[in-house]
Amino acid sequence: MIEIKKINKWFGDFHVLKDIDETIQRGQTVVICGPSGSGKSTLLRCINGLEPYQEGEIIVDGTSLNDPKVNLYKLRQKIGMVFQRFELYPHMTALENITLAPMKVLKWPREKAEAKAKELLARVGIPDKADAYPANLSGGQQQRVAIARALAMEPEYMMFDEPTSALDPEMIKEVLDVMIDLAKGGMTMLVVTHEMGFAREVADEIIFMDEGRIVERGTYEDFFNNPKTDRARAFLDQILD
Amino acid sequence: MFDAVIRNFGFLMGGLGVTFQLAVFALLGGIVLGMLVGLARLSKKPWIYYPVTAYVNFLRNIPLILVIFWFYFVMPILVGRSIDPFPSAVISFIVFEATYFGEIFRAGYQTISTDLVNASYSTGLTYWQTARYITIPIAFRRMLPSLITQSIVTFQDTSLAYVIGLRELVRRVSIVDNMEVRSIELYGFAALVYLVVCYLGSRLSRHFEEKSRKANIL
Repeated sequence: MIEIKKINKWFGDFHVLKDIDETIQRGQTVVICGPSGSGKSTLLRCINGLEPYQEGEIIVDGTSLNDPKVNLYKLRQKIGMVFQRFELYPHMTALENITLAPMKVLKWPREKAEAKAKELLARVGIPDKADAYPANLSGGQQQRVAIARALAMEPEYMMFDEPTSALDPEMIKEVLDVMIDLAKGGMTMLVVTHEMGFAREVADEIIFMDEGRIVERGTYEDFFNNPKTDRARAFLDQILD
Repeated sequence: MFDAVIRNFGFLMGGLGVTFQLAVFALLGGIVLGMLVGLARLSKKPWIYYPVTAYVNFLRNIPLILVIFWFYFVMPILVGRSIDPFPSAVISFIVFEATYFGEIFRAGYQTISTDLVNASYSTGLTYWQTARYITIPIAFRRMLPSLITQSIVTFQDTSLAYVIGLRELVRRVSIVDNMEVRSIELYGFAALVYLVVCYLGSRLSRHFEEKSRKANIL
């Protein structure tokens, strides 16, 4: 369980996150949407300690990030993350991208890490791309390798930061299908996305953020059919165009 | 007309051997230290950033020959006994060249996006593991042409070690010249040797550049 309690964060004078409260239960998929600059990506980065926050508390499975003795490296092992621009290591093959962390962090022997990587590549639908370099993969393929890389650490949570917004339209589905499978398989997921089809299919809760604040939350039906605020209505009109 | 060279060929080539030895130590040490200097120059910790920045700015603004001299004369005072020219030259070169390699690595690290590093951290890798497996190898590949150029400069700079009596190529040429008095052909020969080595080095640089571009790795 991830508990976020009254988080406030500033970049200099800019107040990026304002009183964010949220609890993510095991097995849930929570979708975060909202206009760009509303703090969605920053929130994800705070949860795995990539960005500090100034006020409030985040607790992951009982471990508080406020504790000065918290081992962030240990914490991050159980929270996989997928980025908008894939961020694969360009000098490594797909297989090496996936096996690096299990071998160096979990100290798995190479054979075990490679077997796991191949299994994951098969699961994301590109078993034949193990030896390809990122530059020779399409965007959709790169993002699926990135998902496999995160899954290789056998995380208990997965965070996705606009995983399809850098993709050509014809590649979005192949990535979303992998994510839908994961969600249906019981993975706890926190997904920043504007893909409302994905939200409808798997989201237990949708959070709408604007200017650093959570302005609406509810089920897909609630949010989609009767948004309570003008901002949410305007946002929905825009993305459904 | 190169008979003075031919008569002393073994002695002169021994000098080239010393030049190569000095260059190899200077480059290995300078590049490894430069990797760390580059990291320190991007550090958010003031107690790392400021001293290393001061070190880089200081050494980049004084001539190498003074560093070599100064080190050779100061070291005996510090360690309490005289020090051989070779280790003294090696240390001076490492400390000096690391500032140049450091700036090359810093530029290389800056080509790497924050999120690529975040991706590494998000899988549980530590700062040093990320440096070792991600940032340093990527910066090294992206900066390879500049690194080779700086290596060629370093190779040429080793001739300055003659001022502390190190018997590398230029020093040996001047020793032979004192006996043979054939300055033009002797120094001409030394120049030719440097030219050949450096030309091969620059060809190597272009080869690697082409290769990494074709492999489409970066």
